[in-house]
Amino acid sequence: MDYKYIEQLLERYWNCETSLEEEQILRAFFQQKELPAHLLRYKSLFVYQEVAKEEKLGSDFDERILAEIERPVVRAKRLTMHSRFMPLFKAAAVLALLFTVGGVVKESLGSGSAGVVYVYDQFENRATDPQVAYEADTARVPVNKVVEKPRIENTKQ
Amino acid sequence: MQEISFRNDILPLKDKLFRLALRITLDRAEAEDVVQDTLIKVWNRRDEWAQFDSIEAYCLTIARNLAIDRSQKMEAQHIGLTPETQEMPDALTPDRQLEDSERLKLVHQLVNELPEKQRTILQLRDIEGKSYKEIADLLQVTEEQVKVNLFRARQRIKLKYNEIETYGL
Repeated sequence: MDYKYIEQLLERYWNCETSLEEEQILRAFFQQKELPAHLLRYKSLFVYQEVAKEEKLGSDFDERILAEIERPVVRAKRLTMHSRFMPLFKAAAVLALLFTVGGVVKESLGSGSAGVVYVYDQFENRATDPQVAYEADTARVPVNKVVEKPRIENTKQ
Repeated sequence: MQEISFRNDILPLKDKLFRLALRITLDRAEAEDVVQDTLIKVWNRRDEWAQFDSIEAYCLTIARNLAIDRSQKMEAQHIGLTPETQEMPDALTPDRQLEDSERLKLVHQLVNELPEKQRTILQLRDIEGKSYKEIADLLQVTEEQVKVNLFRARQRIKLKYNEIETYGL
């Protein structure tokens, strides 16, 4: 077999004149088992190029890198001033609501009793008689008549 | 341009990013961290994905910059090492998959002894099969510079390898 072509390629390889395809031919050529003695010495140079191509990362690398990459997405939660004080705002709103409702309730419950003036001695004389105990208050009647008195004096002048 | 999905378009780049980061940092744990940081960085800039011509080149550029940062930090931490440990840094301990063959180990070591730029370019060209233009865009240098660096890297590997082959270790 004639190795002229390979020798020529090899010479051009050392001078960096070979194309990528020609370098591939050299690599393929040196993969063979049977080689002439004068070319055999370069075998491991080209076999090495093939072997070094097989260098690979471990299989768990993918998982680690994907875990690393997907993590920041979860972490990316920025607190703004507004969202940071939101719980406080909520608490304040609930408190305000409670005070308002409480005030209204207190007001409506209190007004029932606050407007009433109890005059216990009003019916004192009649309290013994159940029949008249709850009759309308008659004490006002004479008072109304008293108001008219100064008017009479004015007309005299 | 169509929608870019993280799971379908960016996550599958992880091995490519890992190999590049490993080539620069020469440390598996560091390289893994670099890939993780790269993907998170890319993810955080997901609003800008649509603007990029090639999301792959973008990821590789970020990974390279992060890896260089890290390896510089590592170097700064290694100042106080004794000569014996410097002769055999962690970087030269071969990866498990390469252990079976002494020769592959040797090539691995030779490649990793190159300067960072040559190492990165050799990685992108010979292992990832990228064109000169892609590499130039990625590293933000001219295509000429890529070729020059690649030439030096290949020549150096060839020379060292031949030396060892001929005279033994």
